[in-house]
Amino acid sequence: MPSRLLWKSSRRYLTRHPWLMGLSVLGVALGVAVVVGIDLANTSADRAFQLSAQRLTGKATHQVVGAGEGLPASAYRRLRTEAGYRASAPVVAEYVQVLGAGRPFQLLGVDPFAEGPFRPYVGGGGAGDSAGVDLGAFMGGEHTALLAAPTARAMGEAPGDTLTVTVDGAPRTLRVAGLIEPRDERARRATRNLLVTDISTAQEVLGMGGPQGGQLTRIDLILPDGEQEEKRAKQRLQQALPPGAQVRRSDARTETVEQMTRAFSLNLSALSLLALVVGLFLIYNTMTFSVVQRRPLLGRLRALGVTRREVFTLVLGEAVLVGAVGTACGLALGMGLAQGLVRLVTRAINDLYFVVNVQEVAVSPWVLAKGAALGMGATLAAAFPPAREAARAKVSVVLQRSRAESAAQKWVPRLAWAGGGVAVLAGALLLAPSQSIWVGYAALFCALLAAALLAPALVVAIARALRPVMEKLFGVLGKMAARGLRQSLSRTGVAIAALMVAVAATVGVGVMTKSFRQTVESWLQYSLQSDVYVQPPSLVFRRSTATLAPGTADTLAGVKGVAGAHTVRRVEVASSAGPTQLVAIAPGPETRDTYRLKSGNAGAVWPRFRGGKKVVIVSEPYSYRTGVGVGDTLRLQTDRGRAGFHVGAVFFDYASDRGVVTMSRATYDRFYDDRRTSGVALHAVEGLSADSLAKRVRTAAPPGQKLVVQSSRGLREASLKIFDRTFAITNVLRLLAVVVAFIGVLSALMALQLERRRELAVMRAGGMTPGQVGGYVTLQTGLMGLTAGLLALPLGMALAYVLIFVINKRSFGWTLQLEASPGILLQAVFLALVAALLAGAYPAWKMARENPAEAMREG
Amino acid sequence: MKTASPTNGRAADESPRAPLLRVRGLSKAYREGDTERTIFEDLGLSVAEGAFAVLMGRSGAGKSTLLNLISGIDRPDAGTVAVGGTELTALSEKERTQFRRRHIGFVFQAFNLIPTLTALENVLLPLELSGGAGEREEKRARRLLGEVGLEDRAESFPDRLSGGEQQRVATARALAHRPRLVLADEPTGNLDYETGEQVLGVLTALARESETTLLVATHDRSALPHADRVLDLEGGRLSEREGVGKQENGRAGKRAKKAET
Repeated sequence: MPSRLLWKSSRRYLTRHPWLMGLSVLGVALGVAVVVGIDLANTSADRAFQLSAQRLTGKATHQVVGAGEGLPASAYRRLRTEAGYRASAPVVAEYVQVLGAGRPFQLLGVDPFAEGPFRPYVGGGGAGDSAGVDLGAFMGGEHTALLAAPTARAMGEAPGDTLTVTVDGAPRTLRVAGLIEPRDERARRATRNLLVTDISTAQEVLGMGGPQGGQLTRIDLILPDGEQEEKRAKQRLQQALPPGAQVRRSDARTETVEQMTRAFSLNLSALSLLALVVGLFLIYNTMTFSVVQRRPLLGRLRALGVTRREVFTLVLGEAVLVGAVGTACGLALGMGLAQGLVRLVTRAINDLYFVVNVQEVAVSPWVLAKGAALGMGATLAAAFPPAREAARAKVSVVLQRSRAESAAQKWVPRLAWAGGGVAVLAGALLLAPSQSIWVGYAALFCALLAAALLAPALVVAIARALRPVMEKLFGVLGKMAARGLRQSLSRTGVAIAALMVAVAATVGVGVMTKSFRQTVESWLQYSLQSDVYVQPPSLVFRRSTATLAPGTADTLAGVKGVAGAHTVRRVEVASSAGPTQLVAIAPGPETRDTYRLKSGNAGAVWPRFRGGKKVVIVSEPYSYRTGVGVGDTLRLQTDRGRAGFHVGAVFFDYASDRGVVTMSRATYDRFYDDRRTSGVALHAVEGLSADSLAKRVRTAAPPGQKLVVQSSRGLREASLKIFDRTFAITNVLRLLAVVVAFIGVLSALMALQLERRRELAVMRAGGMTPGQVGGYVTLQTGLMGLTAGLLALPLGMALAYVLIFVINKRSFGWTLQLEASPGILLQAVFLALVAALLAGAYPAWKMARENPAEAMREG
Repeated sequence: MKTASPTNGRAADESPRAPLLRVRGLSKAYREGDTERTIFEDLGLSVAEGAFAVLMGRSGAGKSTLLNLISGIDRPDAGTVAVGGTELTALSEKERTQFRRRHIGFVFQAFNLIPTLTALENVLLPLELSGGAGEREEKRARRLLGEVGLEDRAESFPDRLSGGEQQRVATARALAHRPRLVLADEPTGNLDYETGEQVLGVLTALARESETTLLVATHDRSALPHADRVLDLEGGRLSEREGVGKQENGRAGKRAKKAET
């Protein structure tokens, strides 16, 4: 261990260079903050979803679900009477919008007498949970509901008050019959967004009523422990159930839903790591600088008998300090950042996947520990090479600064070779026969590392090439600026690499987003061929399974000016390939044009599809995710039991990353008892504009049924708006990476300034004006920015390629067309230039104002 | 003039006593691009304990290189260096460093004080590195600072001291841990004549007082009157000037006899 005096010397060095340490700490802090912020936002969304799943599932171990969207209530009666299974409870559940609350609530319809063992807070056996509940009024009253007491207080509601909820756009009223007083924090959270009603009220509100008790969402069960007992109970239950109904584990659905967002969360986490990677360059830069600047000092210490190990420990010790302070700040900052990010993440999940209501950021110690480990790990990893260099330097040559640079120059070819090697590794990872997103990201990070290692050699080449140009344009100052880039390569190289990585990430993500948007835009163009689209309001934009009130489709088809109407029905069904979104369409003559097939013969498949044969077509993401392709047989759970459907084609579709299976309405009606519709597409008669028809449709909507009526243009715009909203978080991450890189450049330039004090003071003493010094520094900074920008272009395009054709494909299964507009590329070079010039402004000013006498004395 | 090299490894010392420093057959060359520049070849030297030897030579003659090899900072291409019976060339890097911290003191041309430590802390550093960090060590460091006339500057950082003051602190630091050998590389090179004289006076006085062997590489002739022996390094050869310096036998011989009794 280094002696007390060595630590003291080290500490004084750090405190004498507060900006150097400050920027380093900031770099670590920002990197950690972004990672922790994203992680907390993701886990908060997960936690919120799990909570809502738990509050619905309660203590149920299993549940009975139907083939499609519901289960006849008669199944429950049979279960209790014929199978004699008492540990069961019927459930009707759906999300509804509560007027004035500004967020969706879960409407839970239950049978209070059966609830006891399942959800104690609902009543029955749950004494103490429901305060002020007049069970008689609740059971016997018309349209009554229970609400959590804290929620009611926040909304200013009391027992007896009336709530208005909207379901699929139709308003319904409920009377608050009582309040649920949660016993603890867990119960408080579980009941925060819950509306409890009896079964018949829920059915009525949700439009699930009907003959013989209507429909249930599911039946909850508590099956006995033990594999054999469970198996026997399942068999007994299955016999009493209608065809198509299934008994499955309660957590099966939670798992499925969580799987939906897995790729989404993973991509966000990987992008957040980018900020940390850029931060890593910054730490490396600082530590290298602190070592290079102290070479003579370290040499003196070594001459006095300080061992290599002690020097190594000393430098690494400083990194530990920087890392610890930076990480601590990063964790605090990350918690703050999560507050903003959680909103973006929640909105994206709600737009794309399912309803999740995140009220607060759940600060998980595990996430914080992970962030701390990453921050410290990254700092130590970045500090390791300079610490090693400091320890291994030969004492006899270490006292000379120029030797340090010539050593750095000597490393350039070696680094370039290493970069080539890492690039080959990146290529090998990309070519590896794997579907793993992690492998994709490993390749991406290898590509970044390879570029960073190659950067010094490229900087030398670019500086050499630019020198005559700079000389011609700016005279001797220009020549000096270009030469300085090469002479101080150990600093300029790292700063340029950091900026290059950040800007390349901007280019890569930008090109990916742009390509994605272009692809989606062109897909919307050909897939939205009807004039007007009508659907009930839905809480999830892309996965609407909401239904129109019966008769609405016919009413709308009869509106004057409608030349043709096709209905759409979306349901979730079980299949041999896992839970599946099934879309039933009534195809019109132009339907064929709205589908672009990736594989399959359009001429062969469409006649059979229209003819109501057992044929389905599947979307590209579905095919990619499940491995189901043309010619395969997909077994779907139907109301007639399990049935096999021939897969006739795979089509391009960008509506859902889970993918869909599409069948004709005629086929759907043969296999499912469900007669509802989720939406209608209308064609206007010749001469009538889409907007005019949309206006007519709005006025023709049945009373009480709120409809979302959009012209094809409106729908296209709305879809793209959602698209842009989903990518808002990506843009935030891009920006943060650039901010970290900016700090990196600033830190590198400040380091250079400190190091060149003497040199510039000599120039000043020799007659260089302060303006010329400032100009010299600015020129060099601009050159650094330009170099970084130019190097970022090929790297950014490579990143875009990996993101589009590897990461996106493996995450979501979409085929995108790469679109790189010159605008984005020019923007990138401009961004690098501006970032570098801004970062260089202060050092330039400071260098110009330096007192030459003081600098020469201290330098 | 007596030629010390080439000597096929024989030392330039004729002293009958066992020397503290013994260098045999030392060779060193540096690569400069494709060519190799030989600094010296088959060099021999020995210096008795307690002696003060001056190594003269032009810039680039290899004086600093020789000091680096003697201290174990650098390794020779061939030959051996032994200090007090320990053959440094046979030691590992770590062992050489640990040997250096206990037995060798350094004074550099550019002072080379640690800028982040005060004058007192600079003097304390070798003591602490040798394992002592108590009150006794601090007392010794203060006493040494007093002896070089800087007791009142103990808490000053190097950038607040003049060149002469810095070199006096460096002198105190070099002797603080009672090394057996002090190597000084152009200790007056950055100082004016008068200050250089003062520093040299302090250095030799302290070294003689503690009977420390002193080898000073310089081209400053003012060092010669203080020296026991004067060696010239030129063209890769080491030779001893006769009739210059006090000859080490006088002082060191007395001490050797004292040790025998």
